[in-house]
Amino acid sequence: MRKLSFQAPDGVITGLLGANGAGKTTTLRMICGVLKPDSGSIFFEDAAGDPLARQRRVGALLDHMGIYSRLTARENLVYFGRLRGMSPEYLKERVGQVLSVLGLESIGDRRTSGFSQGERMKTALGRAILHAPQNLLLDEPTNGLDVPTVRSLRDLLKRLRDAGTCIVFSSHVLDEVRALCDRVVILSNGSLIAQGSPSELCSRTETTSLEEAFVKLTCSPETSQC
Amino acid sequence: MLNPSLVIARKEIVDGWRDARSVISCMMFALMGPSVVGLVSLAPGIKGASGPLVGLMSVFTLVAAFVGGMNVAMDTVAGERERRSLLPLLLNPVDRRDVILGKWLAVSLFSVVGLTCNLLGFAVVFVISDMHLNAPWPRLLLAMLIGVFPLALLAASIQLLLSTACRSVKEAQTYLSMVVFLPMGVGMFLVFFPAARQTWFSFLPVLGQQLHLLRLMDGRDLPLLQSIGLGCLTLWLAILVVLVSSSRLQRDEIIYGN
Repeated sequence: MRKLSFQAPDGVITGLLGANGAGKTTTLRMICGVLKPDSGSIFFEDAAGDPLARQRRVGALLDHMGIYSRLTARENLVYFGRLRGMSPEYLKERVGQVLSVLGLESIGDRRTSGFSQGERMKTALGRAILHAPQNLLLDEPTNGLDVPTVRSLRDLLKRLRDAGTCIVFSSHVLDEVRALCDRVVILSNGSLIAQGSPSELCSRTETTSLEEAFVKLTCSPETSQC
Repeated sequence: MLNPSLVIARKEIVDGWRDARSVISCMMFALMGPSVVGLVSLAPGIKGASGPLVGLMSVFTLVAAFVGGMNVAMDTVAGERERRSLLPLLLNPVDRRDVILGKWLAVSLFSVVGLTCNLLGFAVVFVISDMHLNAPWPRLLLAMLIGVFPLALLAASIQLLLSTACRSVKEAQTYLSMVVFLPMGVGMFLVFFPAARQTWFSFLPVLGQQLHLLRLMDGRDLPLLQSIGLGCLTLWLAILVVLVSSSRLQRDEIIYGN
């Protein structure tokens, strides 16, 4: 990654958009504190902070779902809640809320080994939002999900955004970005190409759709793509 | 609220316990020695005689300390990488040293359980067969448990270190199986080549424990200071290996997978 600088405000869904290998996942991993950038800083509300401090303020669902198949959905959530130091009473309350919000109440006490892809994704998402983080990072969370699950996920993200959560959402699916994101950051070959609202990007590139704007921006001779 | 290491250890123990393959493998390796020694001791012509059988018993006990936690060690880091659950774990605000410490505690518990089951198996053999021992068997087995306990912790730390270098359970299985040759080879060598024994062997992990076991089975007392020194050295090495494992977990290749 190089020459990358962008802001993701609270109450806004910021989409990281780019082709495969553009650097979306690497960017999210650096924000989460699991990868250390060679140079540069990542600020949370104007404070840099060490990776552990950042991890306390972030809920993340990166490209690895990582659900423990021999544990139930509830046990998976309780494990990660305990790791975050949540008190037993608060953890119990939050686990109940999260299972309910994600529609997993009826299967919450089943081992996840028999879960479908969508149920696993919901459990992983539950893990990310369990501690009610102010900042939520999601890396292509709709991959492999059916239409009803994608719709319920979109609704959930919009509710979280309306409640003031800062959401950074990576995807290479333009329809998804258009349906969800208030701001878009376009990456190509590890660099920032453009950022702004979908309409701003369209007017800047004199195009009528985000797809055309994306193609125009990422297929320039400077990026040596297309 | 529990310390993160204890939270991780508790989860790994529950996870390991629910893995039937892991539990069956641990029990089979633990009871392999007592089964072999028990069957041979009951064979016509050998019945009542104990000499080489007792020597072999010490080898089986060392091996049990090494294999008890082997499957859990494979699953807990290499398995996590294979299932892609290590990254979500590292996303939590937990120091990576605590992550490894928790996993080591869980693997150690399985190693010690394997060792204990092995010694309980030998207790059954002593009760049902009339093997001649040079010391009362309850005292002998208790001394063996205390003597080999630090080695079980060292075995767990070595297995965990190897597991951090592997990307899949299958890869870990290859390397961890080789580690079992260490107690087996050392044990056999000292049993069948007693003339090669040196005094300084008593101060080295694995070699020292094997010599102490042989001494106990001969009915001789152990030099207390030497035993404590060997136990402390083994434990110190185990902690050192755990620290090396936690430093490995800081590497980006753990995140990227290669």
